[in-house]
Amino acid sequence: MNGPAPRSRGLASLVLLGAVGGLFGYLSGLPDALGTIVVVAAVGLGAGLQRIRTRSIAHEAFPAPVVAALVSVALLTPYGLLAGLLGGASGVALLVWLADDPGRPAGGIGRSTLAIGVPGLAIGIAWASAFLLPPGAASLGVAVALLVFVVVAVAYLIGEPATYDREGSPLPS
Amino acid sequence: MSPGTRPAPTRLRWRPRAYLLWAGAAGLLLAAVAERDPVPIFLAIPFLLAGPAAALAGPRESPALGGHWEAEGSAAEVVVSGTLRAAERVDARDLVLAAPAPPGLTEVAPPVLDRAPGELRFRLRWQAREPTIVVAPPPEIVWRDATGLVERSATLDLPPLIVERYPPELLGIGAVRLRRTTSLPGESIARTIGVAGEFHGIREAVADDPPRRINWPASARQGRLLANEFQVERTGDVLLVLDTRMSSLGPAADARLLALSRAAAAGISNAFLRVKARVGLAVFAEFVTAVPLATGRRQQMRIRSALLGAHPDSSDAPSERCAIALRRYFPPGVTTILLSTLADENRADLVPHLRRRGFPVLTLSPSPLPLTLEGPPLPTADEALVVRLTRLVRREQIARAWEEAPAIDWDDFWSLGRFVDFLRRPDVRRVG
Repeated sequence: MNGPAPRSRGLASLVLLGAVGGLFGYLSGLPDALGTIVVVAAVGLGAGLQRIRTRSIAHEAFPAPVVAALVSVALLTPYGLLAGLLGGASGVALLVWLADDPGRPAGGIGRSTLAIGVPGLAIGIAWASAFLLPPGAASLGVAVALLVFVVVAVAYLIGEPATYDREGSPLPS
Repeated sequence: MSPGTRPAPTRLRWRPRAYLLWAGAAGLLLAAVAERDPVPIFLAIPFLLAGPAAALAGPRESPALGGHWEAEGSAAEVVVSGTLRAAERVDARDLVLAAPAPPGLTEVAPPVLDRAPGELRFRLRWQAREPTIVVAPPPEIVWRDATGLVERSATLDLPPLIVERYPPELLGIGAVRLRRTTSLPGESIARTIGVAGEFHGIREAVADDPPRRINWPASARQGRLLANEFQVERTGDVLLVLDTRMSSLGPAADARLLALSRAAAAGISNAFLRVKARVGLAVFAEFVTAVPLATGRRQQMRIRSALLGAHPDSSDAPSERCAIALRRYFPPGVTTILLSTLADENRADLVPHLRRRGFPVLTLSPSPLPLTLEGPPLPTADEALVVRLTRLVRREQIARAWEEAPAIDWDDFWSLGRFVDFLRRPDVRRVG
């Protein structure tokens, strides 16, 4: 039978999130590494809420402090080569942390390869195209069009959960 | 899935965590456009894409799970263990199980789960507050991706699980030889004692059966050892009468006492059916619902279904109606066990009506006293007085019932020793 999860479960992903998010916060340019402190504190708070073993709203909303901290830092961070990469990496690290929940069975990261891999790949392509392609009005137009397309496509996929159902399913919905 | 059960919605559902990420992504995109800064977009991309990617990685329809489950344990302890097997594309480690305890049972420990990639084994520990017979609903199983962003209800193919808990004394009650054994039409009972007595039927052979007891022709036909059973080994027929009419005790107390009566009836019928006695059941609400005398596993199922369908009835039907109706279904003279609280006059006068119609009645009366005394404690002197008065009232009810027929007061719900003793030695008169 599955016993209680060891205390070290989820620690690696937590450290990864703290490290990447902390670096991203450092690039925000806030004085006295305030960005880093905010992100690391939010990660600590999120980890504490994550360990509340109840079905309460507090447990369900444990990623909220981390999301809020990363969003705040991203709004303050000036444009740069490393800032963009670390911003995307922070988002992916958050997904890794979610998948490595000690309250769930072990091996969550391995089972959510697609949920982590697809956003990671998208970040890679976006970052490479943003910094490796030559700047110009045409490239900007293509990027804007792609962005609008992706947002509309994602909004459609989110709003229509039936899209994920196999057609002709005999099961009642 | 049992007929009539509303299937859970099987469509993919976004979890609150997914909405949280999208809200963050929406804010980041707006800020990026407003400030002409691409950094928020880089953070928004994983927030936007994680949900749809997780949905695409999961099952495209409600995962169908098969398996089995069973209830074990003794007395008040109920241990339900089961195994569920998942189809392809579903990892059992992503299955989340919720199994609320059915009414009358309480959860004593959280479910213990043992997950393997293709199999989910679970063990639930419940406790019965008092004797009960209840159908446990199948557990709710949800597939939830490892990041916790999407989920989808699984479709379970599990038979209904009936949990029966009754006092342990009832397990041996079938060995009681009842005095009143009614004969079947045309049946003449042999006077011979021992295995040379009247032939009754054929049953599965057990290890202790001597070779002379084996029915060799029948065994040859069936391909397994079958043994003869004789009339002398049979006990009498039993009729159980369940009075479901509501009383002045109130709906909650009536429901609990009826649940106790149902559990006792299930235990008594199971024990007598095990020894191949014929058992019948009559549930009296506004009218009588009867399960005629018969034996065997099918009869056990019929009685169980009738008991599970018995609920407190608000109609104030006259007791005589029950007695008249019983004569249509059951022969007079059959040993009749009436399960009634005897709380009101209208309920207590069912006994004389049954006797007048030729049914020798033995009343097993679940006592409302333990329920009444469950409430918040009163100041010591008052409480002692109230307890004493209620006990006196109850004793008077039972004594009045005894004037008509034997009545057993059932106040310790986990013991039916007095009832079994009375069936064994009915000549020893004891009140209460």
